[in-house]
Amino acid sequence: MNPVATALWNPIVAKEYRSRMRTWRSPVAMTVYILLLGGLGWAIFSSMTFAARNSFNAGQAANYGQGLFLYLVLFQMVLLAFITPALTAGAISSERERQTIDLLFVTKLPSFSILWGKLLASMSFVLLLLLLSVPIFSLVFLFGGIELDQLAAAFLVTAVSALTLGIIGIACSTAFRRTLPATVSAYGAAFVLLAGSLLFGLLFPTDVDPNATSAPAPPAVTYLSPIIPLITIGTNGPISNYGVRNGNNNIYPTAGGGMACSTTPGGVQSCYPIGPNGAVSKAILGRSYNPVQARGTTIPSGLFSGWQYWQATVTMQLVLSLIALIAGALLLSPIRHLPWRRRAAAPSTT
Amino acid sequence: MIAVEQLTKIYGRRTALDAVSFEVPRGEIFGFVGPNGAGKTTTLRILAALMEPTTGRAFVDGADVSRQPDRVHERLGYMPDFFGVYDQLTAAEYLDFYAACYRQPKARRKKIADDLLELVGLTDRRDQAVDTLSRGLKQRLCLARALVHDPAVLLLDEPASGLDPRARVEMREILKELQKMGKTIVISSHILPELTELCTMVGIIDQGRMRATGPVQDVIRQLTSGRRLRITVLGQREEALAVLKPLPMIHAVSALNGAIEAEYEGDDATAAAILQTLTAGGIKVSGFSQLEGGLEDAFMRATEDQQ
Repeated sequence: MNPVATALWNPIVAKEYRSRMRTWRSPVAMTVYILLLGGLGWAIFSSMTFAARNSFNAGQAANYGQGLFLYLVLFQMVLLAFITPALTAGAISSERERQTIDLLFVTKLPSFSILWGKLLASMSFVLLLLLLSVPIFSLVFLFGGIELDQLAAAFLVTAVSALTLGIIGIACSTAFRRTLPATVSAYGAAFVLLAGSLLFGLLFPTDVDPNATSAPAPPAVTYLSPIIPLITIGTNGPISNYGVRNGNNNIYPTAGGGMACSTTPGGVQSCYPIGPNGAVSKAILGRSYNPVQARGTTIPSGLFSGWQYWQATVTMQLVLSLIALIAGALLLSPIRHLPWRRRAAAPSTT
Repeated sequence: MIAVEQLTKIYGRRTALDAVSFEVPRGEIFGFVGPNGAGKTTTLRILAALMEPTTGRAFVDGADVSRQPDRVHERLGYMPDFFGVYDQLTAAEYLDFYAACYRQPKARRKKIADDLLELVGLTDRRDQAVDTLSRGLKQRLCLARALVHDPAVLLLDEPASGLDPRARVEMREILKELQKMGKTIVISSHILPELTELCTMVGIIDQGRMRATGPVQDVIRQLTSGRRLRITVLGQREEALAVLKPLPMIHAVSALNGAIEAEYEGDDATAAAILQTLTAGGIKVSGFSQLEGGLEDAFMRATEDQQ
């Protein structure tokens, strides 16, 4: 076998696919997922059509498209945050509980292959769910207001976040002998990643420098959460007032649900910022706290200055994934060759 | 084929293995006997490179278990005392999966699975889900699994535990078949009768220490000090006991269920002399036979010193 084939050779993946797809659980999970996401899409769609029954123009349509998209990507992220840890947190610990892991350790399969085989199998299912949601997301294009690159970026952020949660789940699964603590810690990690990092921005906001030429940005830790880039992608506007001292900590950006534009019969276009729910955001219109306001979807200052929010998030999550993967691989092998674990001293003969 | 040198394993403050050493030459069946918790599973797990010894070394076909675990795994088939099976897989798929894990080429895997299912008598269960098999059948399937890469050495940890007598006999037949194929087999057990007729060598372990090791008859001889006679007489038990007790070669005499058991030091000529003495004393001897010293007896003696 050549080295590439050896590296890719992994019978675990095929076995996991078989076991997973032969149960009723997988089709049921897929159906429930689609029903939930579709149900939300339908609910938003009907509320919008209800609100728009008196007047409707192209600007509003784009705005509805953005709103629908934003709610769908955020809801999809939350759904996956619930599903992914459940898929991976039992991957290794259930093998331990079922006493099948030793049978794998005595084969020629390297421990790392066991790890990535399990990961690939779980992540393929997540990918399948993402693909299943594509038709629902295509609803957004009925309204417009969202470009294909926004959709791609949002899916990338969602997929990478799911991968990170998956790898953390696998690492928890190798660290704990039993599935219950592994699952609890994997969900804990998912919560910290999604909400904890946002909370950090609220608790420890960036101090505003009045002389700065660039707008303040939330602390870098907050980019770990996929929520911020999903909002900036969905609204196509900057994050401001969140994670910045003296901001009003409104997580929605200045531009709210984007700019609503209308064209007068004379050909003059006028735009005004609105919230994601379609309402004109009065609080934002009248107040300006910061000397310089953020524009566009790039991070205005700080560690990732000039990056897109989603780029910072994807980078940070991939780094976190790598760390978790290495930790998992070190913890998995039956004889843990950890640097701090040396062989014990020779026993005294009695 | 297997060499264990001064193997010691300490868990916290408990010494599970205390300088255990033994050797198993190629083609032998080594019975690893000891009460529960004696250290059998620990020794086998170290041999399977699933655990690191605190001190000491172990080799499987020349490969050091601590330094060359991959080479050890190539040469070794391991069947743990407790193991699970995967849901949603058939017996053939189960074997195919493990054959793939041992990097057997895809083209050969079907034949391997079919041959092994035939060896363990599970051909008719080929397409049955493994989690629905009975315990005895699972044990047989797990044995087949340990053979997918045709290893030279088999480590079987309590292969017959939890099996009904019929399944136990079937397991023994399979092991005999494997012995004919020239495999070196280590079987651990806390049940003695299932081992006596199968093993060519035996090691007795108790409380982490090796009490005796070697060919079965050597160990029995080593541990049971003398030979034993079973004598039945026609109604003259007391007289017979009176004749036997003063004899210098007799260590101990006891009356059991109407027969007399006498332990003596010596060979067959000594036994003949004892019979002559009895008949010369006017005792009507109706039965006179030498008792084979069993492994069980040897085992009891080896472990009772510690009590």
